[in-house]
Amino acid sequence: MDAIAANRSQLAAALARVAAGDRAALRIVYQDTSAKLFGVCLRILNDRGEAEDVLQDVYVTVWRKAGSFDPARASPITWLVAIARNRAIDRLRSSAVSRRSEPIESAEDVRDDAPAALDLVVAAEQRERLKTCLGELEERHSAVIRSAFLDGVTYEQLAQRMDVPLGTMKSWIRRGLMKLRTCLER
Amino acid sequence: MSETDHSDTPEGGDPIVAGEYVLGVLEASERSAVAQRIEREPAFASEVAFWDERLGGFADEVKSVAPPEAAWSRIEAAIAAPSAAPSAAPALGALWQNLFFWRIVGLGSSGFATACLIALAYLGTVAAPERAPLLATLGQQGGQPGFVAAIGSGGSLVIVPASLLTANQKSMELWLIPTGTQARPRSLGLIAPSQPVRITVPPNLVPFVTPDASLAVSLEEPGGSRTGAPSNDIIAVGKLTNL
Repeated sequence: MDAIAANRSQLAAALARVAAGDRAALRIVYQDTSAKLFGVCLRILNDRGEAEDVLQDVYVTVWRKAGSFDPARASPITWLVAIARNRAIDRLRSSAVSRRSEPIESAEDVRDDAPAALDLVVAAEQRERLKTCLGELEERHSAVIRSAFLDGVTYEQLAQRMDVPLGTMKSWIRRGLMKLRTCLER
Repeated sequence: MSETDHSDTPEGGDPIVAGEYVLGVLEASERSAVAQRIEREPAFASEVAFWDERLGGFADEVKSVAPPEAAWSRIEAAIAAPSAAPSAAPALGALWQNLFFWRIVGLGSSGFATACLIALAYLGTVAAPERAPLLATLGQQGGQPGFVAAIGSGGSLVIVPASLLTANQKSMELWLIPTGTQARPRSLGLIAPSQPVRITVPPNLVPFVTPDASLAVSLEEPGGSRTGAPSNDIIAVGKLTNL
């Protein structure tokens, strides 16, 4: 079993204990995942105070909903990342704070931004599959999909960033998603 | 599909709607409509789970950032507050009777003064724009102060031990006892016997933070009370008063 797989089964076991009301197990989950989830929240919210509030909310949600985690359907870390992203995005949408609008990163930036080994959350084959399938898309389509996921921005904001009409942005993302889904299912 | 797409319902149907939700490109009202579908429609929830799992790899690109130390104690406090109100809570009278079980722990008055200063200084840094904080001195048996606590109007609370306390491998849990006849103690979470702890009072309990409400500290099994009510082992209690 490689390190990521070992970590995955350890986390799944801890989540099962959390579902049974074990506070010490929540502490284990927190120690293993809070830096990644805080990074995810911070990236979306771009505000430490807001990200801290959301992080608290995330683990309270984990405490209450650990019973709904299904190891057959999701890996523990992607399940946790999904909760963190949803909370952060909901917070972003509900706040009146206008977001920075930055130009999208170029493909070169993306390649330079290789994550450290410790930061990797999903198994190598899953990561490779996503990379391969993204590679089959038009570059601008894969770039906006990636940017949407990481920054939690709306169609409207993406359209502004890329300086294209809203309808065009919707078309790019939807086409990208359709093609991506077919590829990821294979 | 054409070059531009103005429709609200995409050509690819639910799988694409689920993908849009997971990416996060929807506006607030669309998001909440989709979130409701996830709760109600298992087939649609599966579509969302597909994207959560397959796109999760993007998170590898996000740099990990260690959250501040205080983040964990806030979480611990939040999960200690029973959201599903258990019915086994004792009446306030019973709680006060338990004060006879306070343990006697020696302390010096200098510890008390220091604790007051720490509590106020700390709260001052977090609650500057708020109204005047409420202060409580949590006395032990014989009236010696065991803790000093201050709560800002926004619910930021700091509690500082005023004397040497030992928990004997038990956990210390802080309780808010509202005024009035429905005064069931509400957990505010675990505290430390040897250091100041900052707690955010859950929003649903903030209305109960009033002058004449009380704070109490109980000894509980490690991890805190599982019943939602304090044990018989109350070690300190005190009323909140305006400064």
